[in-house]
Amino acid sequence: MSRTYLGEFEELVLLTVAILNSTAYGLAIAEELKQRTDRSINLSGVHVALYRLEEKGFVKSELGGATTARGGRRKRLFAITAYGKRTLDELRQVRNDLWQSIPNLSFS
Amino acid sequence: MAQPPHTPLPPAWADRLLRVVCPPVLQEELLGDLHEQFDQQVAQVGESTARRLYVWEVIRFCRPYLISRQVQAQMAEVNTDLSFSFLHPNMLRNYLQIAWRNLLQDRLFALLNLIGLSMGLGCIILIYLWVTNELSIDKFHANDPRLYQIMRNVTEGPNEINTYGNNSDLLTPALKAEMPEIDHIVATSDEVWDGIASVGAKHVKAVGKSASTDFFNVFSYKLLQGAADQVLRSIDGVVISDELAVNLFGTTTQAINQIIHWEEKPYSGNYRVTGVFKKPQPNSSETFDLLLTDQLYLARNTMDQSWDSNRILVYVTLKEEVDVAKVNAKIKEFVRDKFKAAYGPKNLPWIGTLFLQRYSDKYLHNVYINGVPTGGRIEYVQLFSVIAVFILVIACINFMNLSTAKAEKRMKEVGIKKVMGATRLTLIGQYLGESTLMSFLALIISLIGVAVALPVFNTIIGKQLTLQLDGRLITALLVITLVTGILAGSYPAFYLSGFKPVAVLKGKLQTSFSQLWIRKGLVVFQFALSVLFIVVVLVIYKQMAFIQTKNLGYTKDNLIRFTNEGRLQDHQQAFLAEVKTIPGVLKASSMSGNLIGSHSGGGGIDWEGKTERVEFSGLYVDYDFIEALNLKIAKGRPFSKQFGSDSSNVIFNEAAIAAMGLKNPLGKTVTMWGKKKQIVGIVKDFHFESLYNRVGPFFLSYEPYTDNILVKIKAGKEPEVLSRVEQLYKRYNLDLPFNYQFLDQDYQVLYASEHRVAVLSRYFAGLAILISCLGLFGLTAFTAQRRQREIGIRKVVGATTDTIVVMLSADFLKLILVALLLALPMAGWLTNKWLDHFAYRIHVDAAVYLITVVLVITIAWLIVGYQAIKAALANPVKSLRSE
Repeated sequence: MSRTYLGEFEELVLLTVAILNSTAYGLAIAEELKQRTDRSINLSGVHVALYRLEEKGFVKSELGGATTARGGRRKRLFAITAYGKRTLDELRQVRNDLWQSIPNLSFS
Repeated sequence: MAQPPHTPLPPAWADRLLRVVCPPVLQEELLGDLHEQFDQQVAQVGESTARRLYVWEVIRFCRPYLISRQVQAQMAEVNTDLSFSFLHPNMLRNYLQIAWRNLLQDRLFALLNLIGLSMGLGCIILIYLWVTNELSIDKFHANDPRLYQIMRNVTEGPNEINTYGNNSDLLTPALKAEMPEIDHIVATSDEVWDGIASVGAKHVKAVGKSASTDFFNVFSYKLLQGAADQVLRSIDGVVISDELAVNLFGTTTQAINQIIHWEEKPYSGNYRVTGVFKKPQPNSSETFDLLLTDQLYLARNTMDQSWDSNRILVYVTLKEEVDVAKVNAKIKEFVRDKFKAAYGPKNLPWIGTLFLQRYSDKYLHNVYINGVPTGGRIEYVQLFSVIAVFILVIACINFMNLSTAKAEKRMKEVGIKKVMGATRLTLIGQYLGESTLMSFLALIISLIGVAVALPVFNTIIGKQLTLQLDGRLITALLVITLVTGILAGSYPAFYLSGFKPVAVLKGKLQTSFSQLWIRKGLVVFQFALSVLFIVVVLVIYKQMAFIQTKNLGYTKDNLIRFTNEGRLQDHQQAFLAEVKTIPGVLKASSMSGNLIGSHSGGGGIDWEGKTERVEFSGLYVDYDFIEALNLKIAKGRPFSKQFGSDSSNVIFNEAAIAAMGLKNPLGKTVTMWGKKKQIVGIVKDFHFESLYNRVGPFFLSYEPYTDNILVKIKAGKEPEVLSRVEQLYKRYNLDLPFNYQFLDQDYQVLYASEHRVAVLSRYFAGLAILISCLGLFGLTAFTAQRRQREIGIRKVVGATTDTIVVMLSADFLKLILVALLLALPMAGWLTNKWLDHFAYRIHVDAAVYLITVVLVITIAWLIVGYQAIKAALANPVKSLRSE
């Protein structure tokens, strides 16, 4: 498999970046994930996942959007790249194929 | 004044922590997110919980991913600061890489260097261990800086001042009373006694001496039981070592107040244990198992107490802040003043002056010339330190020579580096780094070597050294290794870094005359040292052989000696008579002290027409002594039963008769310590001392009861006779071990340190030569390799193998000849100086030099010739076809 490996948590973060699109930054992603997955999410994990994703080329980032709420500090805003989008598509395709291959077994 | 609205803030230290662990580029956004989250949480769960959650969140940021990026960022920052420095991390890595590649590329040279340096370092480490041990001897006493022995200088002839350690037993109380500068003073017996300590049927051989009450205040031998001030107070008391206590009682704690019996005349008797001390450690120059009191010693010793009876050793500790020079001045005439006041000015010239010598200095500085400590063991310490340094230098020279010879191969590297902007300093740093790397590799190998060689080294030097890597040793090792690396790398570093980049990149290496000269000079120096070592070893060997085979004037072979102890002392004559009946026993006799080692003596002999005092040595002996030792009678007769009692007769040696200036000495009467004795015989001179000393005046006096039995055994019969003598001995002393000594063993002891030097110098000389040869091997191999093409062309145009071999070897052999020329006179001078210590010595003849020359040239030629022949025999096609 030529594609870079994508961990489960990384995949979740990448999906969230795609959802939030241009307003995605560390805290926002963490909140979104907390709401949607009901898991305990910590900020450092999200950040590290984001940096990894960026190193692998799935997301790109820029600094921007300073607000007084953060003591005047800027946010790093993340956006999914075309390569990231394609990778998500491929992953989904693989999953769909796999789902469809499951025979109709009855467990009850 | 209105309060400003309270804005809750997260803990500042958590923010600082985050700044430490996270790379700077990420800090802004991370802190921003964290603070935003904090504000939300303050609103949701309150400030204190939010603060706790905040800290927890920050701690979670301390993860390897972020920290490793932070380290990289820091490194990058350092890099930009040092971008032009030769200490730039990338450059350092480059140096190591190139050094490593160089090692691998020239495995042979690397190996030669490594072996040479390891051997050099190994020598240094061994010698370092030995020297630090020697220097530490007797330094453990707590009062060491203030601890002195009182020594005595006596003028015994024109320009002859002799130094003694023993002093009058009246000295101790007098000094204590009159010298406020003295803190504690102690007197000990001037010899140690080999006796037997017993409890019930348990007998243990032990070494004893006497000491006055302050012994444990002056010396820091540890008292395990008893108080320092009390243990040597009562005349029936004895202080024993923990070892002896365990041997006798099986315990050190229950020994107090037990009674032990001590057997050694005239101090035999029952004594009560008053204390137990820890037996002196190997770093003490003295060892003893038992201490009797000074009172007992003086009471039992038959000598009169006077200012002229020297039988104690006196040690003092001075008070703090006391000027030693002043004390020295005060005590100088102390005994002479007392003597004059007590007995008048007669004999005053024979009374010595006193001086103080640091107790811990005595071990290494124990030889006195004209009353001043001038040397002793320290000379050997210095000698071997110098030898070790020389060996290391030889190894370093190998490194220098091989690296500079190899420089041609590296000139392009140097050229490129210089073009790329390397400064000379950079290159020097690099090459020094390479040599240091090499010396550290060598250190590891040499440590393994030292660990392996240490037991052998210990048996040679007679010590128990261990390789314990404590802080001091590690520091010393690091310093030695660094210095070695820098020394070995210094010349190549300056040489290589001096290349002109344009010239070397064009492919021209200007080997100037001076550079060649240095390389040749180093080879000469190396071999000159090796030659020096060889001559020294040969001379020492010959002198030792001379000592072994010299006609001593007596026969020391097949003679055993054992102490007359226990019940034997009361039945000596009966025992001797029985010994004589054993088949295989040729003679049996007895003597006081030992012919080799300890004699009686002194100046108390008066004769007719005496003009000046003569110091005599002598022995009190039984009948058959002269026959047992095969001493030659020059005139008169030996002691013999045929002439009735010989107890008022004396025999002198020729030196004594000459010193007394007696004409027709036979039948004349002399007065020995107040007793009239008639001269009945004269023996030819024999060497009763080591060959360091001339044969002096000697007397033999008849005395049937003395402390050493002497038995001459027929050659080849030793085992039978020894077992019969032992049986006989056991009849008298059932429970004492029968310990005998061959007289030639005693003789070897006289030369123990020479023997050590002989063996050690042989090893070191071997190493020096080996390392030099490694260097020569490398250098010739390199030259042959470099001139491969030249040799090929020469052969093609008709040169014979012979001419090529001669051409290749002549250069090096010339160097060896120069080394020989330089070293031989030097070696001659040095060995003569050493031999001058001996009164009886060999004269270094041409043979020694001839052997050295032949040996060195043969070795050198074998090495050079091997390479030369190999190069000359090579097929020229191989070396020429590649171009």
